[in-house]
Amino acid sequence: MRSFQYGSGGGFVPPSTSDFNLPPVIGHNPYTTKPIFLVVLSVVVISVFFLAASRKALVVPSKLQFAGESIYSFVRKDLGEEIIGHEFMRFVPFLFTLFTFILTNNVFGIVPLLQFPSMSHVSFPYVLALFTFVIFHWVGIRKQGLGTYLKGIAFMPGVPKLVYILLTPIEVATFFLVRPLTLSLRLFANMFAGHLLLLVFIMGGDHLIRGVVGLKLIAPFSFAFGIGMTFFEFLVQCLQAYIFTLLTALYIAGALSDEH
Amino acid sequence: MAAGEEGALWSIMGYLISGLLIWGGIGYGIDRWLGTHFFLLIGLLLGGGASLYLVWLRFGRK
Amino acid sequence: MKGTLNLVGYGLSAIGPAIATGMIFAAYISGVARQPEARSVLQPIAFLGFALAEALALFGLVLAFVL
Repeated sequence: MRSFQYGSGGGFVPPSTSDFNLPPVIGHNPYTTKPIFLVVLSVVVISVFFLAASRKALVVPSKLQFAGESIYSFVRKDLGEEIIGHEFMRFVPFLFTLFTFILTNNVFGIVPLLQFPSMSHVSFPYVLALFTFVIFHWVGIRKQGLGTYLKGIAFMPGVPKLVYILLTPIEVATFFLVRPLTLSLRLFANMFAGHLLLLVFIMGGDHLIRGVVGLKLIAPFSFAFGIGMTFFEFLVQCLQAYIFTLLTALYIAGALSDEH
Repeated sequence: MAAGEEGALWSIMGYLISGLLIWGGIGYGIDRWLGTHFFLLIGLLLGGGASLYLVWLRFGRK
Repeated sequence: MKGTLNLVGYGLSAIGPAIATGMIFAAYISGVARQPEARSVLQPIAFLGFALAEALALFGLVLAFVL
């Protein structure tokens, strides 16, 4: 790789990856950074919300109950029943947990005062993808038996024997390496890039407004674009939570069906 | 678009990535081993072609 | 400013596949909207076109990192 240097006059420091390594909150304990607290907070928020929404279930639902039930029925119908098929009920708790957990943690990125998507640290998506990885392989092995399942993955029917040398490594790599990796990196990269984008426009506007008069006039545009991008980020955050859950459901459905 | 189609598109991308990664990686390894420069290109083209063939096998033929 | 020109090249090489993917799915969606029963005929063609366009974008990504 060839690098090039550019004169660093002006003093504006563009936001970089170091903005994501937040210092520990309590002392020097590395387990007390902001993302950890945000994940714990998200668990509390989700639990309180759904316990409150389902505590007094009425036939004519209250507003809170309606909100909780519509999220649940969205995951159950659109992500569970339509994709997985008749065995979907076993997987609805997992899919629902995944969806609400990712959605809450993503939306923390634009909630004032919190404003940090914890999924922009790659370890959290890795763990979630690991859950998906173990579950869909486990389901496939339980359903079809180890030999049939691996054979179904590695050998595509209807191909001349010699071509398997070319295709089998690709199939195996897709199922055991690329699927969990792309699943987690897609979520991570979207959250990371989105947060970086917001940082660029807000910090840039902040820098411009301290400059000379001509720069002060440009600053409001930077802030306005930052606010517009915040709404766009909300869209991306919901979409990424949906895609992660959707792909999990599709992988489970693929492991359940005979010819994946 | 239906959810199944979206899943198919992501799995097409997964096949293409792993084809380039595996065969390109093998070509890169041979290059490092023998000190040549062209096996990487061969590996990438082979991997790209093979994964396109795989996509055709899975989604193209009816 | 610090960085590598390879990634600028990758950005340029991704423009073509991006436009191609947009055109493929625009045509696919309008085709299915006009004639919903043509979906099973159009779907493999659209997917293969997408795969070809996407392969070029991924070639650009890989070459940006290995060169």
